Amino acid sequence: MTGGDGQNNTPADRVLAVPCEGDDLLVLFALETGDRLGEVPVGSHPVHATTCRGRTVVATMGERAVTAVDASGEVTRVETGVLGPSHFAGANGELYVSCSAGDALAVVNPESLTLVDRVGVGAEPHELAVAPDGDRLYAGSRRDGVVDVVDTGTRERVGAIDAGPDARVQGVALAPDGSRGYAVDQRGARVVAFDPGDDSGPPAVGASICAEATIGADPYDLVATGDRVFVPGRGDGVVHDFDRELESIAVHDGFSRPVDIFEVAGDWWVLDASAPRLRSLDGAVLEMSAPGLVVTPVGERRLAVSHYDDDRVSLVDVEAGTVWTTDSPACPFGSVVV
Amino acid sequence: MSDDCGRETSDAASGPPIGGSDPSSPDDEGNATRRGLLRAAAGATVAGAASTAGCLSVSTPADVAVQSEVSGNVAHFVGPSWLADNREGAVVLDAHDPEQFREERIYRARRVPFDAITARESTDGVGEGDMPDTDAIAAAFGEIGVAPDDDVLAYGASVGSRVTRVAFALAAVGHEGSIRVLNGGLSAWNGRLGTGSRDSVSPVDYDPDPAASAWVDREWLADRVGTFNEDGPGLVDVRVPDAYLATVGSDALNDDHDRHGHLPGAVDVHWVGNVAGRRMTDPGRLVRLYEVEAELDRDEPVVVYGDDNVDPTSTWLTLTAIGFEDVRLYDGGFGEWANVEGDRGRYPVETATNVVVETEGSVGGDDDGGDFSCTG
Repeated sequence: MTGGDGQNNTPADRVLAVPCEGDDLLVLFALETGDRLGEVPVGSHPVHATTCRGRTVVATMGERAVTAVDASGEVTRVETGVLGPSHFAGANGELYVSCSAGDALAVVNPESLTLVDRVGVGAEPHELAVAPDGDRLYAGSRRDGVVDVVDTGTRERVGAIDAGPDARVQGVALAPDGSRGYAVDQRGARVVAFDPGDDSGPPAVGASICAEATIGADPYDLVATGDRVFVPGRGDGVVHDFDRELESIAVHDGFSRPVDIFEVAGDWWVLDASAPRLRSLDGAVLEMSAPGLVVTPVGERRLAVSHYDDDRVSLVDVEAGTVWTTDSPACPFGSVVV
Repeated sequence: MSDDCGRETSDAASGPPIGGSDPSSPDDEGNATRRGLLRAAAGATVAGAASTAGCLSVSTPADVAVQSEVSGNVAHFVGPSWLADNREGAVVLDAHDPEQFREERIYRARRVPFDAITARESTDGVGEGDMPDTDAIAAAFGEIGVAPDDDVLAYGASVGSRVTRVAFALAAVGHEGSIRVLNGGLSAWNGRLGTGSRDSVSPVDYDPDPAASAWVDREWLADRVGTFNEDGPGLVDVRVPDAYLATVGSDALNDDHDRHGHLPGAVDVHWVGNVAGRRMTDPGRLVRLYEVEAELDRDEPVVVYGDDNVDPTSTWLTLTAIGFEDVRLYDGGFGEWANVEGDRGRYPVETATNVVVETEGSVGGDDDGGDFSCTG
């Protein structure tokens, strides 16, 4: 739950809030024009932002806390107790935060902006995925090679899928209907599929995967749809394309360092961290001013792009090209439209 | 030309003497010099000896004793002159293992039953975790005739963690008499020695007055997760940096631990930095280490922990000795924290942090096995 909120319009007063990791700031830009509106000091190493109950919440990896900004502009520090808040997921009315330098998920009440619990999971949790009904949350462990399953009603770890020996689980995703789970093993350059459980219960602790496939080197994230699974391999410049059982459909090559893939206006577009362009799987190319590391969908055709290495932020329209681009403080990362 | 001693030499005018080499000839002397240099470069010469080349360096027991005297505003650690002056009034406790104790000890010293003074009392029934078993510890001191108001001096092979555990155990049971540790250990003592079986001692009843302010338990720490070394207490992990950082392969250091890493916010200062050979590290260096480099506040509570409840007592006593006002031991240690059952979200472990204060200490003594936790 990072980035855009799925709204399809872009009123003139909307704001793009961009955590800038290098300067410990949340920087605000007018979404329509790119004008810089201000900045909020939010703590060390802000990386991702989300919105919840009228608050903008920022994960600050260099802190044992997240930072929330409410509608009145009041800034609140919410202690997590454990270093490295990195990713958010909303479930059961609460905000889950992976504490990636420890072995816990912090659970924050978005109304009171207080820590209500911590859930012990595999060490160095990173990405989170939530079942469609919100009853279960899945957290990948970069150190213990598991995908932990958390009951969001009781805030207890109720299961764990073993992704394999020496696995470093990075990306985690569920199919939209919640019938299948997927995880990226960065160290082994694999993607695995698992049974996320059903009404009869969650997967057991130590549950096995049900399928796996080799992918490009140094993978990071993945995208799962109803019938497809896409996994960029940063080291090999390829995007693997599978069906839901991880049978290969295609390997899309020719990228430099593909980091993300997203559907815009009916096409699948790939973000490349080493090339100043977006390229669709159909071969369409959209030039940008610099390579991007993170995108946030804005409406049906637009993307906010954080050019991490070039200290720049852009709004891009996949049909019309770059709408605006502007300089930012150092290392802009995962933005949110507010 | 001349050598470094100013003697005149020649590289051409004088050949080897007829009838064999003259070991005192300049050439042979030059070869020997070169050999010495090469040996030194290869590490064959111990540090210190090289710097006194040409001089015979001998340390006498009196030298060692003098080197072990403690100066400055340092509590608890005393040199051998203190013991010499107070031999009759102090109870001397030996922290060696039984074999070392029988081999050689300070005359009339009493051997501490080490297992007993590390005893823990589990309070999991009330959810607090392990803490010192003060009844068992007090009974152990009573068995060797230590009364609550005795002035005690403890020693070992050095000032390692075995002897500091004795000091902590006394503090934990609320010992009323003074508690001192012999700087330099047994080798610093050049007075009368004893050997063989232990001397007969009449047991006494030691009624403990537990000093709960000397330790913390798991719940005390869990309540303060997220505050250590920030707006809460100081927290020092005394283990080797690899264990603290949970580096690749470090799991083998403690393969009985479910989890690896450290308590959130802890700073790592390996306890051997407290010790220089058999003596405590220079107090000025210790103050820099803990106050400047580790950024601990001497006026605030500081908690120390290790894997067990022995090694961290070195840091517990060291900080106390240099003036920290409120130093506490987590007696359960990381072993308890890492293996806690149930809700581990309340007892999180961090891995991906890097707050290691480098130390240069080494622990002397003649114990085998390289286990610094048992060097005394």
